[in-house]
Amino acid sequence: MSAIGKVAERKPQAGPSSWWYRRGRFTASHIALTIMAATMLVPFSWMVLASFKPLQEVEQFNPFPSVWRFDNYLRVFEQVPFARYYFNSIFVAAWVTFLQCLTSAMAAYAFARLRWRGRDIVFRLYLATLMIPGVVVMIPNYTVMVKLHLLDSYVGLVVPAAFGAFGTFLLRQFMLTIPPSLDEAAEIDGATPWQIFWDVIMPLCRAGLVTLAIFTFLGNYGSFFWPLILVKSEHLRTLPIGMLYFDSVYGRQTNLIMAASVMNIVPLIILFVAAQRHIVRGVQLGAIKG
Amino acid sequence: MKARRHEFRAALGFLLPNFVGFGVFTAGPVLFSLAISISNWHLHRTIPFRWIALGNFLELFVDKDFWLYSMNTVYLMLGMPVAIAGSLFLAILLSQRLRGIVVYRTLFYLPTFTSGVALMLLWKALYNPEFGALNAAINWCIDTFRVNEVVRALGGAGVSAPTWLLSTKNLVGLEAEEVRSSAAQWGMGARDALIIMGIWIAIGGNNMLLYLAGLSNIPPELTEAAQLDGAGKWAVFRNVTWPQLAPTTFFIVVMSFIGGLQGGFEQARVMTQGGPAGTTTTVAYYIYTKAFEELMVGYAAAISWLLFTAIFVITMVNWRLGSKELNY
Amino acid sequence: MKAFFLITFCVLVLLSVVAWQIQPAPPEGKIPLVWVSDDNPARREQISLFNDLHPNYDLRLDPRANQAGMEKVMLQCLAGVGPDLFDAYSPSELDAFVRSGVAWDVTEELAKRAIDMEKDVWPAILPTGIREGRVYGFPANVAVDAIWVNKDLFDAAGEPYPEGPWTWEEFIEVAQRLTLRDERGRIKQFGFLCDWWQWPQFIMLFGGQLYAENGTRSAVDSPEAIEAIQFMHDLMYVHHVMPTPVDEATMATAGGWGSGTITYFGAGKGAMALGGRWWLCTLRDYEGLNLGVVEIPRMSDTAYRAYGRATVVNRYSPRREQALDFLVYEAGKDYNDLINRQADAVAAVMRYNYTPEFLQNPEHPEEDYNEVWRDVIRYGEADVWSPFVNGQAANRILTKQLDLVKNDQKSAADALRDAAREIHKEMAKTLERDPSLRIKYYRLTGKERPE
Repeated sequence: MSAIGKVAERKPQAGPSSWWYRRGRFTASHIALTIMAATMLVPFSWMVLASFKPLQEVEQFNPFPSVWRFDNYLRVFEQVPFARYYFNSIFVAAWVTFLQCLTSAMAAYAFARLRWRGRDIVFRLYLATLMIPGVVVMIPNYTVMVKLHLLDSYVGLVVPAAFGAFGTFLLRQFMLTIPPSLDEAAEIDGATPWQIFWDVIMPLCRAGLVTLAIFTFLGNYGSFFWPLILVKSEHLRTLPIGMLYFDSVYGRQTNLIMAASVMNIVPLIILFVAAQRHIVRGVQLGAIKG
Repeated sequence: MKARRHEFRAALGFLLPNFVGFGVFTAGPVLFSLAISISNWHLHRTIPFRWIALGNFLELFVDKDFWLYSMNTVYLMLGMPVAIAGSLFLAILLSQRLRGIVVYRTLFYLPTFTSGVALMLLWKALYNPEFGALNAAINWCIDTFRVNEVVRALGGAGVSAPTWLLSTKNLVGLEAEEVRSSAAQWGMGARDALIIMGIWIAIGGNNMLLYLAGLSNIPPELTEAAQLDGAGKWAVFRNVTWPQLAPTTFFIVVMSFIGGLQGGFEQARVMTQGGPAGTTTTVAYYIYTKAFEELMVGYAAAISWLLFTAIFVITMVNWRLGSKELNY
Repeated sequence: MKAFFLITFCVLVLLSVVAWQIQPAPPEGKIPLVWVSDDNPARREQISLFNDLHPNYDLRLDPRANQAGMEKVMLQCLAGVGPDLFDAYSPSELDAFVRSGVAWDVTEELAKRAIDMEKDVWPAILPTGIREGRVYGFPANVAVDAIWVNKDLFDAAGEPYPEGPWTWEEFIEVAQRLTLRDERGRIKQFGFLCDWWQWPQFIMLFGGQLYAENGTRSAVDSPEAIEAIQFMHDLMYVHHVMPTPVDEATMATAGGWGSGTITYFGAGKGAMALGGRWWLCTLRDYEGLNLGVVEIPRMSDTAYRAYGRATVVNRYSPRREQALDFLVYEAGKDYNDLINRQADAVAAVMRYNYTPEFLQNPEHPEEDYNEVWRDVIRYGEADVWSPFVNGQAANRILTKQLDLVKNDQKSAADALRDAAREIHKEMAKTLERDPSLRIKYYRLTGKERPE
């Protein structure tokens, strides 16, 4: 917390409305952010550069390739059906994200905004399941999938990940910050819980929903263990499984792993850039007031 | 709190979709794992299935490795407060209306995208004992400030930069083979390397995003009103922002504890294989090893439930503190 | 908000329809077979050759990860949805498959097809497919390591290429002459590169074993084993010819997965390296390497470590009869010649290693050292393992102790004695759990548990 204290101390004598003050503050923020951001950019640029190197040079310290091997990217597509893996990863993660957001928001609404007996106890029990390490439920879960004949299918990849306590907990915390007066007012106007949920609460939870969507998408896009044991057919493989090809005991095509990784994160960056603009201060209440 | 009939029914309706899936894919398996934690279930068929009551737990209490790995797990969580505070600070910076804020946000989130092989390889390079950026800086400091001359003058043996991922040393001197500490083990080692890396990844990652979302939910009127009353920055933060962020902070703290106690799996699997000498093996990695390598499913479930109990107690304490302190 | 969710839902449904449409139709009239093995270019070529030779089959690969390899198969098989074929990577892994009941006993089936494994296959690799006299898998390849030589670095030092048989003393001298330092005294080229996980190899080279007396006792605390580990330690800290962990981390950025040494060697950072013929799968990608091979110094009565994979048929597979055809394929000429051509180690069936194509691969005429790879197999022996302790558990104990030796924190003798003690403790626990093992142990030793 001391860092924040320092920022406050640094407050100059000029009033907050002074142009110089604003200008100075912005420049300081920019400088601080740029320096920090640069350290974040290093691994990424290193990865991009490595993806253009010949195999020998990946291990070397020189950050730039001596020969730019643009065909590394083509070779990824030649050696494995990378486009198919790509599609599968996005497809599965998108479905999970959609279902997760919808069902979690509904459950969170019931926990945060509706009053019913035993609510807090049920919620705590619900929360408790988050505390069980995932490895242990893997085996019983797998048995369930076998019983339901969902092995080696998209449904089997999507459904078990689509419901959970995490999203509910997250969105519940968001809904708690919404002033109760809003839905009480709507209730007096005769709105049903379903209407309040969609028209009052959900728009106000936009930042929370976007955050949850990003987390869920990311988590499932990179999921490794579950698809590994669930999927047998090549046409259902997701990116993390497909990339095993470049990393076998017989040798690790690190340059191709890097090329694949770069392509791997492109959709994530697009998603993030598109989604993050909804996490902006003040948008929500403005929308409600208008 | 008065439970009204129609709200209960509505609540049921809202909970149903999540609860059906949750029941089948989470609650069921969780109960199942509770059941097998009191059994000797082993994937080898030559071992007849038996209920052994608390047998697994009794074995666990004298399992030295388990306690060593628990120490590792707790030690690796030391970076957590720094990471959370850093995330909050960064989120406050990034919630400003600055030009190019999208770029900053994306850059800070990049390590979270870039996880996996690329990130691990990079950090291995940074921790390179001789050429790594970290040790280059440390060695430069040692040379420039003549640290060794001073230390030797004081009768010390001289210092050198840590070997990071290769070393079993740590800041509290934990030994590799026994649950105790000794001066010889004092220093910086693999565990500290993982902590630093963890902070670096986490600072601009998910927690930052959560705080950003939390901040965006604070009505600007509240801050403006406080500023009009002449409150300074710190006062605004203390009296408006921080209480408003309480539910978010609560979420982050709870999830960090859960994640921390269940964590260390990825780094161990990809980066260190749990070494050197088991010092980066965490409880989660141990569970995985027991269940999937040594095939002792019952024993692994027992460890999980012990871990669960620890997390549960901590969460309940958090809950209490949360409702008192955070006005929640 | 509602509209947004509705639109997203519609888009997803649309995508699902697309996904459904682009699902490849299962090939008409072909019998599908699934094989779990590690995914790599060599493996894919082996599969397409099988499919070419057997047009009525459609064999596909289900990749095995370096981690979580065995458990995937076991989980799937026990749930009744396993692959038709899977690979066992060591005798103890085969044991785990047999004991969990997923490996099919194919002794009679192979005999019916006139395949005599014990006569045809290199004896060193048999334990990966045979357990207690019953056949469960057919060896897919066999590997025995030797020392790779980077000829250019020898030429640059004016040193003649080493020739076997030679002694460890000669080896150390050569390695020292090929260890070069820069002006600041730092080593820039090592005489010898070797993965630390090769320690079982060294124990065997020095005449030791991992287990003794039918696996009822750990033998890592034997004088031979201690000498072997001490020797590895000395190569790093006394003779300074092999990179210490710090040197290795300093040398390059990447590592892990045990494949680091290949890449260091490929990048010319060592004059000699301990490795197998399968390194060629990687080394062929390095342009301009000039390679030779020499056998590892060996004492007259000791063995090299042999390893490899064996393909096992899933006992619960509804197509297990058909899956047998793959084992027949692995016993045949086409497959074995392919293995030799690819340098996916060495063919497991002996006679295909005595062909002119093996000695001189027409696509790679520069590889004139294949005879060495064949000859060392004769001295190969499989790992000795113990049914009385889980291999992975023992491995965890040993890795921990040997890490301390590798870091020069503990003496080899102390570490190995502690390891043996802990393994015996683990054995006692295993015996307590498993009554059938208890009986077996008692029969072998007349004792309840190791003391």
